Parts: sequence; C-alpha cells; structure tokens
Amino acid sequence: MSAVVGFLASSIGRKVTMALSGLLMFLFLVTHLAANLLVLVDPEAYNEYSHALISNPLIYIAEAGLLALFVAHLISGIAVWRKGQTARSISYRDNRWAGGASHKSLASATMIVTGTFFIIFVPLHILWFKFGTYYDAGNGVRDLHRLVVEEFQDPLLVAFYVVGMAVLGFHLWHGIGSAFESLGVAHRPKVRQAGRMIAVVLAGGFMIIPLVIFFTGGGF
Amino acid sequence: METMTLKLRVWRQPSTATDGELVEYTASNVSPDMSFLELLDVVNDGLIKKGEDPVAFDSDCREGICGSCGMVISGVAHGPKSATTACQLFMRHFNDGDTVTVEPWRANAFPVVKDLVVDRSAFDRIQAAGGYVSVDAGGAVDANEMLIPKGDADAAMDAAACIGCGACVASCKNASASLFVGAKVTQLSLMPQGQPERDRRVLSMVEQMEAEGFGPCSNEGECEAVCPKEISVSHIQTLHREYIRASLRRITST
Repeated sequence: MSAVVGFLASSIGRKVTMALSGLLMFLFLVTHLAANLLVLVDPEAYNEYSHALISNPLIYIAEAGLLALFVAHLISGIAVWRKGQTARSISYRDNRWAGGASHKSLASATMIVTGTFFIIFVPLHILWFKFGTYYDAGNGVRDLHRLVVEEFQDPLLVAFYVVGMAVLGFHLWHGIGSAFESLGVAHRPKVRQAGRMIAVVLAGGFMIIPLVIFFTGGGF
Repeated sequence: METMTLKLRVWRQPSTATDGELVEYTASNVSPDMSFLELLDVVNDGLIKKGEDPVAFDSDCREGICGSCGMVISGVAHGPKSATTACQLFMRHFNDGDTVTVEPWRANAFPVVKDLVVDRSAFDRIQAAGGYVSVDAGGAVDANEMLIPKGDADAAMDAAACIGCGACVASCKNASASLFVGAKVTQLSLMPQGQPERDRRVLSMVEQMEAEGFGPCSNEGECEAVCPKEISVSHIQTLHREYIRASLRRITST
C-alpha cells in the first residue's frame, strides 16, 4: 500500500478529505450566494454574471471540480460514519450528553442525515435551474432571472428551498468549526461560534431569495 | 446522619461470550460520604451474604489517579460530576430515591470481561506500538543538560495527565480513541527526547488504533467533558497535525 493510499484510507485521512472538500464547497457557496443576491437587486447584472460564467469554456473544469468535491465529501463522510457505527455494536441503555466542555449538538449528531439530504437536493436544483426553460434576454444572453422568478411562484418549491437551506445551515452549524479541527487547527470556542454564525447568515441569505420573490411576485 | 435509598440498575454479564442484562438492586442506608465504588462494595456485601455472585468492577488506588475504575453511571462516563473518576464520585451528588443505571464502557475494542469490567489491553497495544522514547543507557546526564522551554514542559505535562481510563472512548458516539492517542502523542512529540521517533510514533500508534477497531473522531468533544483529568480536545488536533506532517514526510521521501 502506497503512503498516499495509506493516508487517505486512515480515519484521520478521511476526516481531512471530508474537511477540505467541505470547506472548499463552503467557499463556493459564499460566491454562489453573492451572485444569487443579484437576482433581487439587479436582474440585468444577474443575467450578465451568469452569462459570463456559462459562456466561459473553463466552466466545465469548474463543474468537474465541484462534482469531484461533492463525491469526495460524500465518500469520506459515509466512510467515517460507517467506521463509527461498527466501533460499538452494543449501545448504552442509558446514554446522556455530558454537557460542560462538550459541544455536541443536534446538528453534530445528525450530520449523516443532513448530508444525505443533498444527494437529493443538488441534482433537483441543477435540473430545475441549469436545465430549466431557456428564455432569451436578447444578444444570446440567457434570461435566467425570468426562470428564477417563474420557478419561485410555486409555494411547494419555495417551501422545499426554505427547508433545504435550513438543512444546509444545520449541517454547517457543526461542519465549519469541525472542519478546521479535523485539519489540525486547535479547538477554540470563538472559531466554533464564528462557524455557527456564518452558517446562519449563509443559510438565511439563500432562504431570503425564494421568499422575497414569492411574496413580491418578483415585481420588486 | 441522614442516609439515602437508591435503586440501582447494574449491567450483569457472566463472561465475554454471554449476553448481559440490567439487574435491579436496592441500596439502602447509603451514606452521602460513600464513594460510588464503596456503594458497590456494600451492594456486593449483601449479595455475598445471600450467596449470590457479587458485581465485578475494576478498582485500584481509589484516589482518582490510577485509571482502573470506570463505568457509565446515569448515562455519563464516570458519572454526573465532571473531572472525577468513579472512585472519587461521592454519593452526596445523588438524591434519595434516585434510580441509577450502571453500565460498562461500551466499545468493540473494549470487550466486557465480566459485569462492569472491560478489557482495555487495546490501549496497551497502542502504547507499545509507539508511545515510548528510546534513551541511552549509562550514567544519568546532568539535570539541566537539555533545555526545554517552560511552555513545552507545561503542555507535555498537561497531556501526560492522561491516566488511560478509557472514558473518552466510552463517551464518544464513534467509540474513538483519538483523545487518548492524542494525549500520548502530544506528550512525547513536545519533548526533545521524543524527536527521533516522532514520525514513526504517530504513524504506528494511529495504525494500531485503527486495527483495534476504534472509530474516527466525531469532533463533538464529549471525551473532554467526561475526562477525569480534563485532557483538552486540542490534543486531538495536535494528533491530526502530527499525523498529516508524518504522512507528508513519508509520501515525499518515498
């Protein structure tokens, strides 16, 4: 077994893979949110920005990179979860959280559940928006703004996105701080708190978009 | 002096190969000044007088420093009081009429030997895999021959406070030994004497930890919360840094 494979197959190596891929996807989400918010303030700028992305041939490399991160996060996450499951066959009859120095939370206890949700969410999200109806805004620019506004007239879709972003926030509530610790950054309560705050802001930011479009009908 | 009556639900398991179950006992005339192990001693006296098999549990120093005792009391490793081993947990922390469940450490790497006694030799094998330093035999060198920064000495001492009781494993949802291994690796890698074996140590100890069937770290920090010596989870992050460093050095040198 080569040294590289040995590292990647170890439980620490899997945690490092999970942390790195997670943090890189988180950085992508920050840029994704910043761009998405344009849909509320400047429809033309939003369409121009998306046009600049999809007309650039490098988009395929970026998409392949994101897919690789998603798959790496998924595989390492499931591997970590499974190894943890097999380490204790007989569970406690009386099991309570220790409190005190512990930072266990409902979010940290359900990472595998909230993470698995995105196996469903992400393909649907891409199907609805990337492969949604093509409207022409003129000059060969796709009118993505119109598609977004139309899609978010459906209350079921709005509800799905609000719930989806709540799940994302929940996952990041534990995930951001935990990722730094997996990479070897010493535990600091302030880093954990910052991670939780960023999780709320990011999830809240994404949630605002469908809600505003739905309640204003897009005519803001 | 006021005494208490408690209902105990104790895990009874005759041997590793047999199934266990919770058995109820009533402990009366419990003094608040008894330790939890003394409570079990009194329960056992009663069982022996009735001709029944006493509850098996590990203990040695009974002053909180040997790491022998360890059981999950009321759902928490070493019981509800933080920074305390089961032998130093006093009955004044319980109330008259409480029902208290007592279970052994549960981890596949720690098989139950009998009742509350588990086999923790997995920790010994991890230590033997790399938790040592090689020193020259011969005359002792001058005490201050080797200069060690005060901060490093203090940090190594904090890590060395680990008594190897296994509460970290018992409390982790993944039954991870990361806090134990982290403390042992940190303690030695901070010292100049630990440098020659630094890479080999962390690689071997982590490999042995995996082979014993301990799970991955959950980053939840339950281990630090139950640790009787309050070993910080920062030792797990040190373990990760040491392991990443040693792995990169191995990858780039082969």
